[in-house]
Amino acid sequence: MKMKNKADVVIVGGGVNGCSLAYQLAKKGLDVVLLEKKYICSGATGRCGAGIRQQWSTKENTMLAMESVKIFEKLSRELGFDIGLRQGGYLIVVHDKKEMRQAEKNVEMQKTLGLDVSIIDSDEIKEIVPILDVKGMHAIAATFCPTDGHADPFKTTFAYAMAAKKEGATILTHTPVIRVLKEKNAVKGVKTNKGEIKAPVVVNAAGVWSKKVAETAGINLPNQPYRKEIMVTERIKPMFEAMVISFKDGIYFSQQDEGQILGGIPNPHERKGYLTDPTFSFIQHMSKTLLRYAPPLGYLRVIRHWTGFYDVSPDARPIIGEDDKVKGFIHCHGFSGHGFMLSPMVTKLLTEYIADGKTSPFLEWLSLERFKGKTIQKEVSVVG
Amino acid sequence: MRIKKHPILEFDREKKLRFYINGKELYGYEGETISAALFANGVTTFSRSLKYNHPRGFFCGIGKCSSCLMTVNGIPNTRTCITPLKDGVEVKTQDAYADLPETKHKRHKKKVINTDLLVIGGGPAGLSAALEAAKHGVNVLLVDENPILGGQLIKQTHKFFGSREEKAGTRGVEIAQQLRKEVEKQENIRVFLKSTVFGYYECEQNHCFGMVKRREDYTEEIYELHCKSVIFACGAMENMLAFPGNDLPGVYGAGGVQTLMNVYGVKPGRRVLMVGSGNVGLIVSYQLLQADVDVAYIVEGLPKIGGYHVHAAKVRRCGVPILTSHTIVEAYGNERVEGARIAKVGKNWSIIPGTEMDVKCDTICLAVGLTPSIRLLSQTGAEIRFIREAGGHVALHNKNMETTVPGVYVAGDGSGIEEASTAMLEGKIAGFSAAYKIKNKAFDSKPLKLYHEELERLRDGPFGVKGRKAKEKIAVQWSDKR
Ligand SMILES: Cc1cc2nc3c(=O)[nH]c(=O)nc-3n(C[C@H](O)[C@H](O)[C@H](O)COP(=O)(O)OP(=O)(O)OC[C@H]3O[C@@H](n4cnc5c(N)ncnc54)[C@H](O)[C@@H]3O)c2cc1C
Ligand SMILES: Cc1cc2nc3c(=O)[nH]c(=O)nc-3n(C[C@H](O)[C@H](O)[C@H](O)COP(=O)(O)OP(=O)(O)OC[C@H]3O[C@@H](n4cnc5c(N)ncnc54)[C@H](O)[C@@H]3O)c2cc1C
Repeated sequence: MKMKNKADVVIVGGGVNGCSLAYQLAKKGLDVVLLEKKYICSGATGRCGAGIRQQWSTKENTMLAMESVKIFEKLSRELGFDIGLRQGGYLIVVHDKKEMRQAEKNVEMQKTLGLDVSIIDSDEIKEIVPILDVKGMHAIAATFCPTDGHADPFKTTFAYAMAAKKEGATILTHTPVIRVLKEKNAVKGVKTNKGEIKAPVVVNAAGVWSKKVAETAGINLPNQPYRKEIMVTERIKPMFEAMVISFKDGIYFSQQDEGQILGGIPNPHERKGYLTDPTFSFIQHMSKTLLRYAPPLGYLRVIRHWTGFYDVSPDARPIIGEDDKVKGFIHCHGFSGHGFMLSPMVTKLLTEYIADGKTSPFLEWLSLERFKGKTIQKEVSVVG
Repeated sequence: MRIKKHPILEFDREKKLRFYINGKELYGYEGETISAALFANGVTTFSRSLKYNHPRGFFCGIGKCSSCLMTVNGIPNTRTCITPLKDGVEVKTQDAYADLPETKHKRHKKKVINTDLLVIGGGPAGLSAALEAAKHGVNVLLVDENPILGGQLIKQTHKFFGSREEKAGTRGVEIAQQLRKEVEKQENIRVFLKSTVFGYYECEQNHCFGMVKRREDYTEEIYELHCKSVIFACGAMENMLAFPGNDLPGVYGAGGVQTLMNVYGVKPGRRVLMVGSGNVGLIVSYQLLQADVDVAYIVEGLPKIGGYHVHAAKVRRCGVPILTSHTIVEAYGNERVEGARIAKVGKNWSIIPGTEMDVKCDTICLAVGLTPSIRLLSQTGAEIRFIREAGGHVALHNKNMETTVPGVYVAGDGSGIEEASTAMLEGKIAGFSAAYKIKNKAFDSKPLKLYHEELERLRDGPFGVKGRKAKEKIAVQWSDKR
């Protein structure tokens, strides 16, 4: 069978962002081809914690996340497939006065945007997650937003991909894009291992490999790869629904619907370089910290532990929108460890731009050009 | 359900132990696992499944699956099929989930072991590998998750085929005993039983693994292992078959049933339907008869019997019908198997209407092949390929049993399903090669050549065909890679 050789839009990457875009663009009537070098969810999406949080330190991220949650809430119905959304809240631990000041500032800002969020004391912490040891984790308080939560990253992405196909999109797995084709300063298509596909628009949603894809179009991205490790335990009776996180310790963990505890933490002994193997030091540091937070979990065995990469931009915010030098080259990367939760809104904005030419202040705020010459406002509420 | 009289085996039941299931008092014997003791008392439901609340019980008998998980002395999700029974132990069934215990968790400090060679798996391949390497002067750490060394040999009561050098004519249990004794004599082999190697980790030099050792009080200790070379001799897992009712207690792996009978002296049931007529299906059927258990039928999907003729003739003589071109359609029962329906199959395994038959039985034994255990091995990054004749996915390896990752070797069923005799030879080759590499010595090719010749002889016979094909394919794909 010959591969399709023409399309309105080519999307590089079959993660949550690529698949969501494929669905939305196809729904708008565009001829879409999505190319994935391995299989759907083989990148960061299939390795992530899939937490969905609206408690951010910048107004823009908070707004993006809040809009995304509104979309997530209706997504199962829209796609005709259960994405496994559960809104059990995010409990963000506050350890000291300095963190308290930041928490107060954040909560105040988040409330002006209409977010249901509050600062809670140790009794309330114990009510929400009874197994926590408030003393052990050195908490003085926490912030809590009950509509935060998580979804199943596989189900979400497969649901998008299936819906995209129904809308007429073509999805080709095991088809790496070798090069983006250009004519003068405009995109002309892509070259794959199976031949060329002509298209006036190419979306770079290749996750941590976006830098490489952009290079083939002569674009230099500031993104950096960071190895991240994550683990899951065996099942145990459901005890809590919230995601517990601490910016200071870097830990995050939650209990999945089926009873597993899933979580991660940065490895204090992390080495430099593009390393993909899991480390023994992670598992030790993770279990030590986890047991300080929730001592009874000591009886649980870890059943899996794997690595993935954060694709980190200089200000830890995504990079989206059309390139200002190469026409038709669309950025959709730099998610810095929160690309699952922001995907609904980010891909909606990009769809409206590609299909209808609609711009938005967000696109400007998240453009690649923001790094040129200006001082950057870094997102500080980052874990993992 | 305990076997009292057996033509070959004797079961040592000297020390009686008291234990509790959901608070009810029962008795077992020292040397039994918790699963075996429960089984002997007629308890076949160990837990309930998460989604549909189906009963779950024993299945593989060697710690490879999660069917037998129970709460033991408060510790959740314990694999009772490889956990020894202790006096006074409290066992609880798990209803979809286990509870966390109230008691405070006792943490053991992590320990670190450095060794020349790590051998994972103490079956015929691992035992032979460890012995060979130790003879050449390297320090060996030999790890197995079961309470006894010997792998599948410890349940094989029949006399082995193969060559005299590889102990043909001897019973599997006796081969295991001989190898165990030799291992005990070697000072530079350190053995860890009831210990599982669970993960491969990043390491700047050498190789790094995590291991967990199960202690007498059922708590666990963590070890960080560092080694220069490693031999994976992890054996194989039994295949499952898809049919309605296949998750009922009473549907067991044939190897699992063999373990229960021949290691612990416990009968799996009263009347068995055997699915599969390969050697495993035939031999286990005969062993069931020896344990005074009825075998209703042996059904075989293919038009002809898969195993050796001597084995088939033996069970036929005992009056067990072997139905070729037949398969199991369904298992039925409430809390456990009460019967099965079987039928004749035509081309493409389609069931021929009107040939369905009801079989009254309380046990269904699946002897439908083995799959190499490569999950741990694959973490090393060794190149894995699907080779049908090898039984599934296996690591590419060269003649010296080294994989595409330097210092990582394979041997035995884990490198392609064959037999104990070939497993022992592959173990010797891997042990020899690893030892020479560690010692940084030039190869003395003489003993190696002998082992290779012996292997070829074994694979030359009519029953070596599959193994030979598998190894040929692996060799071709290996050289394509270079
Ligand atoms: C351990 C971990 C935990 C995380 N936890 C969270 C969390 O709790 N919440 C959250 O919101 N985010 C989390 N993230 C981040 C999140 O996973 C990512 O931001 C998000 O999944 C990015 O999705 P994506 O579709 O942009 O990229 P990816 O999922 O990485 O997909 C990119 C795809 O592109 C393909 N590709 C690459 N190059 C090519 C090419 N040349 N041709 C064709 N295809 C190509 C890749 O194979 C890959 O499938 C976590 C990440 C990690 C690693
Ligand atoms: C019914 C039956 C009859 C047979 N008859 C014959 C015969 O007549 N002649 C013949 O030559 N062969 C026969 N065989 C085949 C023979 O038993 C196997 O081929 C042989 O046991 C394979 O040896 P092995 O060492 O590769 O694996 P195994 O014997 O399966 O040993 C592997 C060991 O590794 C351990 N292990 C695995 N992973 C880990 C880990 N991560 N950590 C710690 N330990 C681990 C396992 O617990 C196991 O004890 C028969 C097999 C069966 C089932």
